[in-house]
Amino acid sequence: LADLLNLCTSQQLSFVHQFVSPLLKKDPFTTLPDELCLRILSFIDDPKVLARASQVSRRWRDLLSDDMTWKNLCVKHDYQRRMSEVQPPFHINTTIGPNALSFGPQENDAGGSGALTSTSLPATFERSANGRPAPRSYKSHFKQRYLVDAAWRSGGRNVSRNITQDGGVVTSLHLTSKYIIVALDNAKIHVFDTDGNALRTLQGHVMGVWAMVPWDDILVSGGCDRDVRVWNLSTGDCLHTLRGHTSTVRCLKMSDANTAISGSRDTTLRIWDINTGLCKNVLVGHQASVRCLEIKGDIVVSGSYDATAKVWSISEGRCLHTLQGHYSHIYAIAFDGQRVATGSLDTSVRIWNAQTGECLAILQGHTSLVGQLQMRGGTLVTGGSDGSVRVWSLSRFCAIHRLAAHDNSVTSLQFDDTRVVSGGSDGRVKVWDLKTGNLVRELVTQGEAVWRVAFEEEKCVAMALKNSRTVMEVWSFSPPEEMLR
Amino acid sequence: MAAEKSLQRVTLTSNDGTQIEVDRAVAERSILIKNLIDDLGESAVASDAIPIPNVNDAVLRKVLEWCEHHRNDPPQSADDENDNRKKTTDIDEWDQKFMQVDQEMLFEIILAANYLDIKALLDVGCKTVANMIKGKSPEEIRKTFNITNDFTPEEEEQIRRENEWAEDR
Repeated sequence: LADLLNLCTSQQLSFVHQFVSPLLKKDPFTTLPDELCLRILSFIDDPKVLARASQVSRRWRDLLSDDMTWKNLCVKHDYQRRMSEVQPPFHINTTIGPNALSFGPQENDAGGSGALTSTSLPATFERSANGRPAPRSYKSHFKQRYLVDAAWRSGGRNVSRNITQDGGVVTSLHLTSKYIIVALDNAKIHVFDTDGNALRTLQGHVMGVWAMVPWDDILVSGGCDRDVRVWNLSTGDCLHTLRGHTSTVRCLKMSDANTAISGSRDTTLRIWDINTGLCKNVLVGHQASVRCLEIKGDIVVSGSYDATAKVWSISEGRCLHTLQGHYSHIYAIAFDGQRVATGSLDTSVRIWNAQTGECLAILQGHTSLVGQLQMRGGTLVTGGSDGSVRVWSLSRFCAIHRLAAHDNSVTSLQFDDTRVVSGGSDGRVKVWDLKTGNLVRELVTQGEAVWRVAFEEEKCVAMALKNSRTVMEVWSFSPPEEMLR
Repeated sequence: MAAEKSLQRVTLTSNDGTQIEVDRAVAERSILIKNLIDDLGESAVASDAIPIPNVNDAVLRKVLEWCEHHRNDPPQSADDENDNRKKTTDIDEWDQKFMQVDQEMLFEIILAANYLDIKALLDVGCKTVANMIKGKSPEEIRKTFNITNDFTPEEEEQIRRENEWAEDR
């Protein structure tokens, strides 16, 4: 045969080549057993490649409908975590409570802090966040998450609404599975559905509202008039007015459906039974205003302008530890059941062991007040008046990303497994990739200032000052229904 | 002792009857052969050839060439395997050259690596095929592997629409 080929002209050889080369080609997916075909596919992490491959032939289509491939892809894209996320034991109260359904109840006036650690959906697979039927396969789950991610990067729809004709300060914003709730320094609380349609206004406070916390259809609020009010969000009725604080209420959290805890400029914390309207306990010990608090299980931790944080037992009503070390006011606190993180005017962040009260680490780097922090898993994200956002590893106690986020203060921040959203007094809302630290996009058209941002998997709400008016922007990143079929 | 062992020679017999002699350390890149040697005992291996009934001479030589080059690679741990899958399709230069063979041989190598239980080689083979699929339109993939499009035009249109979501986002 070799002799024969040697006698051929180049034209003839070219013919032979054209004739022979397809014969040397072979369909790997009909040649190899399924197990090896799927192994080949497991090395592909771009859904576009898989989608195109499934259009090659029936055999390829059938192979690519194997859910193992899509499960692998979910793993590679970190899309599986919400399905299997194991909640630490201290989260029991929040996973049972309706708040577990709300992604990112944005914190009160201290901005984002620890409660957000529990804001992932425990089981996206059974119960979809927005009432859509739950995805039936890994492929449809992947597709949904992929489309949502794509919309976060460069899509989404948004509506914008004027909330006030003047520029009232937004002190608190919550996004739950049912409501968007906005509190203002003009004493009003506005309630919207999750698409941003106005439902009702809660009126009763006579001065600025500084703190609030939703729990299903209940809202507890407090502010300058020293009252803590309990509202029914579905009717707008004020169920109780809880009196006792002798100065402005600065922070509020709930530990279960019956119990709210408030912190005040009067230096105390009060534990309220919101069903009976009675004060169950007063926690005394701080020397100055209680600025922020966080609850996990039977433990409440509080941060104060007296530069200390305290760890309290709710049932015993007593202080277990005083966390001493900061040189100035504490403005923000986060607590995951084991660790406490505090942000201070002294520009540092400290991590404490809640069981022993010892300081585990001092995180330096911010050059001004650290007013925003959130802890989630092994990650801490902080924001400061220096305009920077920092992502920290809690296992190594070091900075992973230093983001030059805003020209002025970071007024609000929140993060989940995928992204960090920050708002600043420069009027910008920025979305960051948590893993790479890259800027993904800016969300709102720039205004004068952003008061608050809050987001969940497919939604983002920003409260901003634009043209001297307070404006709410609601972004939706849900794929159109017809694309999910 | 370890050095002695690795210099020991073993003989393998391919399914077409050819005998190939290699260093034991090279042959033991294959977990199948390693287990066989452990089971049969050293003396048996020293006197008799090890039959490899599922692999022909050409493919076995090719596989052993790879094992020879990678004889000193550290053994893969389970963690490495996961990492590898995440990192997907980086292939080192020598392996890329090694895999420049016709498709028949490429698939034979994959089958042999799977049979002989040589994970690293199996992965290089699978990655090579994965790389041949990447960045191609369905028609280009068909051309690459000489595949007949057996969809009806209606089916083709439907499956195109079903997969539109993944295009350029």
